[in-house]
Amino acid sequence: MTATDVAAEKPAAAPPARRFRLTFPVLLIGLAGLVILLSIARVVTGANDITSGGTVSAALGLAVPIGLAGLGGLWSERAGVVNIGLEGMMILGTWFGAWGALQFGNPWAGVLAGALGGAIGGAVHALATVTFGVDQIISGVAINIVGLGFTQYLSKLVFATMKGGGAKQSPRVPKMGKISVPGIGQPLQDLQNKRWFLVSDVAGVLHGITQNISLFTILAIVLVPLSFYLLWRTAFGLRIRSCGERPVAAESLGVNVYLYKWIAVMVSGGLAGLGGAFLSLVAAGIYRDGQTGGRGYIGLAAMIFGNWRPGGLAGGAALFGYTDALQLRQGGPSVHALLLVVALLLAAVAVYQLVRQSRNKAALATGIAAVAVFAVFAVTDTVPEAFTSFTPHLTTLLVLSLASQRLRMPAADGVPYRRGQAK
Amino acid sequence: MLMAAAACGGSDDKAETGASASSDAGATKGGKVGLAYDIGGRGDQSFNDAAAVGLDKAKGEFGMEAKELEASPGETDAQKEERLRLLASGGFNPIVAVGFAYSGSVKKVAAEFPDVKFAIVDDADATGPNISNLVFAEEQGSYLVGAAAALKSQKGNVGFIGGVKVPLIQKFEAGYVAGAKAVKPDIKIQVKYLSEPPEFTGFNDPAKGKTTAQGMLDAGADVVYQAAGGSGGGVFEAVKGANAMAIGVDSDQALTADKAVSDVIITSMLKKVDVAVYDFLKNYTANSLKGGETRYDLKAGGVDFSTTGGKVDDIKSQLDEYKNKIISGEITVSQTP
Repeated sequence: MTATDVAAEKPAAAPPARRFRLTFPVLLIGLAGLVILLSIARVVTGANDITSGGTVSAALGLAVPIGLAGLGGLWSERAGVVNIGLEGMMILGTWFGAWGALQFGNPWAGVLAGALGGAIGGAVHALATVTFGVDQIISGVAINIVGLGFTQYLSKLVFATMKGGGAKQSPRVPKMGKISVPGIGQPLQDLQNKRWFLVSDVAGVLHGITQNISLFTILAIVLVPLSFYLLWRTAFGLRIRSCGERPVAAESLGVNVYLYKWIAVMVSGGLAGLGGAFLSLVAAGIYRDGQTGGRGYIGLAAMIFGNWRPGGLAGGAALFGYTDALQLRQGGPSVHALLLVVALLLAAVAVYQLVRQSRNKAALATGIAAVAVFAVFAVTDTVPEAFTSFTPHLTTLLVLSLASQRLRMPAADGVPYRRGQAK
Repeated sequence: MLMAAAACGGSDDKAETGASASSDAGATKGGKVGLAYDIGGRGDQSFNDAAAVGLDKAKGEFGMEAKELEASPGETDAQKEERLRLLASGGFNPIVAVGFAYSGSVKKVAAEFPDVKFAIVDDADATGPNISNLVFAEEQGSYLVGAAAALKSQKGNVGFIGGVKVPLIQKFEAGYVAGAKAVKPDIKIQVKYLSEPPEFTGFNDPAKGKTTAQGMLDAGADVVYQAAGGSGGGVFEAVKGANAMAIGVDSDQALTADKAVSDVIITSMLKKVDVAVYDFLKNYTANSLKGGETRYDLKAGGVDFSTTGGKVDDIKSQLDEYKNKIISGEITVSQTP
């Protein structure tokens, strides 16, 4: 066992005909195809919100906290520590983010404070699980409880005395700067309002990702490739991942496993804290008790969805954010249009399975599913609200069950490690 | 699986929140009041705070001692029962439960302690000889702000954002829709709830409130009414960003909301929980408690609309006209949408 084995992510001997490999060109084609599909659905149903700039922008805002929590989970679990305490660390991030921004009158101070607050949670988790070898799930659950209680206590102490604040919420926090690509905002908006096939959809998407983007959002997006680079392209990252794959081997090669696990879990907490800070500073504009609403768990799920890889988890977070934006903004009509997209996608998958993979039974099953979804789409005008509100969860679950059957978690993820246990 | 993961964590595991007890060590001539808050508790700048105001007023006037306990998110009925039982067996009498979430537990615990007087705010289902149900005609107040929204809207398109789709919040929706349609039958009304029970995060998620309000504004609304508790701050934020109009809820939010956004709030649907709690405690001390349902409607002054900021002054006479018609019974407002 050498460290290079650990670094080899994908199995070398994959049968090419059966395996679908996601490369960058394939990804681009896929995205383009998705925009075309959405465009068709929009023109057919008249649900104009599904590719509007507002939706894309809202989707980004909803995806960022989940994505950051997911990145937090990635760092920790790549080092072999299961982090179910993301939610608690995120809660710490929401509180410290708002506090930092209010205390120093600058949102960026809040960003820093939020990351530090989350990192404190990470440090507690590291102390318990790495240093003392406490069960990782128990420690994580404890952090979720303590994070909530601690911030409630702090709010009573700090925010309750501030003007406009209370025991349950902070005053309004200072605004974070937003930037736009200049000169194209209005033309894109006009183009979008023409409602032309494809052109308007592309304009809407471009408008969403180029106009009024919070600087925090850009920071969050940059953290995804940065995490990939650090974890997969540096010696430091290799050591962290070796701790998650086979800590005993790492130790025998002179890696200080405890140290690397500590670093990873602290970074994990910091990222989850950033996700929390985004919620209170950008998404909401105030701290509110309980505002994370389980986003830490969703982030954890996005990470599993993304097969413990940064790109995958970003995709998971984006999918969740997009569907959540759809159901929150327009509900029924948008989700109804989404049904058509799902039906078309399933049909495409069925054709792919039949032609390229010759999996007749699988193709038949997918084809039947496509027809069923289309039938539901055709006989209804809208989707009842009781159903729309869990669209994001259902979509993520569906994609997870269809596309992610080859998940591979780090080999020593969740396995307690004691120094010198190999002797 | 996601939902299961989200549900198993949360804070359901959190034990009793025994904190936030405040007691006047002095005389207890007026009795020892036990007050159990819903999620949010004292300091939520909304519903629970209104109850606290009523309690504080009664405490000062009648020299009562009080113990206040609050619920934690995601707790079970058993935990609520335990909280009430703790108060009842601790010698607290009367006991006020704030919020419909206590319905089942009040009914059960009240039967166990027949000598203790209970009051429950916002619920008429828990009935018993020693239970007073303090309910409000939210649909009547909402009817008036619905009319205000329709009169103020220039685009003929208004929105309603509810926190969680429960019958209580649907009363707000029903009144609002009826009021808006009374003014303008062909008005477009967008309705959205932030979460569906048993998921109650919709009352505490300003980010979702903001996104939803933006969606409504993008779709052409220019007045948005929120009955979403702590998520309401996000709604105001979005409305401010689009320079539209908002309607507050429960308390006069043009006064309580942050100065930076309060100027978009044209009016608020007032729900005087403080009056109800105070009345109950007053009747208790005067030994004139009769139990059963007390309905605080427009006639009783339990609900109303606010005029802070002068933004509805131009239409106030029309709103007062609707108000009088509701009081006289000429207009009846349905409680269900």
